[in-house]
Amino acid sequence: MSAGTFAFVMNVPTLICLALVLAYPVVYAGYLSVHRVGLGQLRSGNFAFNGWDNYSRLLEDPLFWTAVKNTLLFTVVTVTSEIVLAVAIALLINQTSVWTSRVTRFLILLPYAIPPIANGLIWTFLYSFQFGFLNRILFSLGVISDPVNWAGNPDTALYAVAVPYIWRTLPFAIILVHAALQGIPRELYEQAAIDGANAWHRFTRITLPMLRQIIAIILVLRTAFAFTVFEEILAITQGGPGDATWVAAWYSYKITFAPPNNFGMGAASSYVLAAMIGVMAWVYMRFVFRRVTL
Amino acid sequence: MFATTRSARFLLHLANLLAIVFILLPVVATAIGALQSEKSLQADTRRVLPAEYTLDNFALILSGGAQKGRIFEQATYLPENIKHFYAAFSNSVIVSLSVTFLTLLFGSLSAYTIARQRFRWTLFLMQANIAARFVPVITLMIPLYVVMRSIGQLNSLGGVIIAETGFLLPYAILILAPYFDTIPGELEEAARIDGCTRFGAFFHIVLPLATPALAACGVIVFIVSWHELLIPLILNARPDFMTLPVVIASLVGDVHVFFNLMMAICLLALAPTVVLVILLQKYIVEGLAAGAVKG
Repeated sequence: MSAGTFAFVMNVPTLICLALVLAYPVVYAGYLSVHRVGLGQLRSGNFAFNGWDNYSRLLEDPLFWTAVKNTLLFTVVTVTSEIVLAVAIALLINQTSVWTSRVTRFLILLPYAIPPIANGLIWTFLYSFQFGFLNRILFSLGVISDPVNWAGNPDTALYAVAVPYIWRTLPFAIILVHAALQGIPRELYEQAAIDGANAWHRFTRITLPMLRQIIAIILVLRTAFAFTVFEEILAITQGGPGDATWVAAWYSYKITFAPPNNFGMGAASSYVLAAMIGVMAWVYMRFVFRRVTL
Repeated sequence: MFATTRSARFLLHLANLLAIVFILLPVVATAIGALQSEKSLQADTRRVLPAEYTLDNFALILSGGAQKGRIFEQATYLPENIKHFYAAFSNSVIVSLSVTFLTLLFGSLSAYTIARQRFRWTLFLMQANIAARFVPVITLMIPLYVVMRSIGQLNSLGGVIIAETGFLLPYAILILAPYFDTIPGELEEAARIDGCTRFGAFFHIVLPLATPALAACGVIVFIVSWHELLIPLILNARPDFMTLPVVIASLVGDVHVFFNLMMAICLLALAPTVVLVILLQKYIVEGLAAGAVKG
């Protein structure tokens, strides 16, 4: 068997899977997005072509724009917090001579093990206005005298959902930064110490520049994934209060799978979401991936 | 490098303490919530630790709703899906194990050829895999639901397994390919000279050497599959085909919120992956790093 035939045969299962579960649905979602598809059409199997109707209705829907705005705000908040926290905690667990740092390092992956939907329910319990664990702790510490409605206030709800999301996805960012820290030559720090640079200077002149590439990777990947946040929204706020936490994936899900079940518009909105993420994917492939050595 | 002076050490301990509290707070809250009755949760809404602890929440879930215990004696309503805990747990096990097996099988065949055979199309396949990682699940699930519905394949574990395998394959290939790249090609050449087929050389020489990468990839795929909500939620609505995350999601917005039961079932659902993460931490760390930056 020639090398070419061998390579092809070895890839047949993958190609079938990718065609069936990725390529075909993506094309078919495009087809649905330019057709009128509701429950009735789904039953009869006749989808009428309606051009850009779904897209123009989408752009006229104020709720869609609220969802886009919320998604962008959520993404900016979570990604910036994650990068700052990841660098800080990675530096912290890098202090192997401090015993508490070794404890933190052992625990770092724990949130990665928590199912996102369970994470959402757990924080629902933490945030609960009446019975919540967070209010209980703050009462005991004497920080508050009246219960706080963490997730029920439209001004704070989006941030209330952002915290559990950051909690769950932070380990990934910490691990990447921590791995990159191991790649910085010790001599750089030794030389800087001889030159009399203080800790802050060593951080800004050596550590941070050496972490630039990995921070770029985290920025692109986490932005792409934060755009699709879903489980925590479903568990904690269901888009509420009002429309304060409607995000893009929640919009596509509700438009499609809650009455009046507009599959065409749902597909169109999910295409807009995919296009937003596509920009990040392009940046990732063009500028970031493969240029980093850990 | 910073930890030289006494005050610096103190600040580091303090920062660690904050980090540890932040990491453990939700898990501790879950355990405390799961180990008390609804009554004690409601009796004093400012108290952190309950007056008395009970295992009745777990007993109710693990007995499929049969063993009501002391705390649910007078309960007139209980969430229906609690009764399907065992079915959901075994569905989750079947789905996650099948997805892990299929993904490792297909993924290693692909990743090996992508790493070894530099054709234009294998390079393209690698780029397609990177791009595929960014496709949002919801974009795939709307058309998949329409297709599965029209061919009558909603409510089957097979559909969920195929969907998750296809969705996770690109990620698995991204984790595996760089590792295959590091295994020297001379080993297979020697085996081929000794009369081994191309597949034989892959199967007998390369695959055993790639065990650490397969472990890293396998555990990550298992965890992601165990956590996956949207795919089974949309494809499987019937109680006997639900996976654990779907059962948990069904408790959201129930007519009566049982925080204690919720925390107990969350604890049961997160236990398997927590054990995996503790046991296989090293592999997960390597796999996550490889899947993000190499290729």
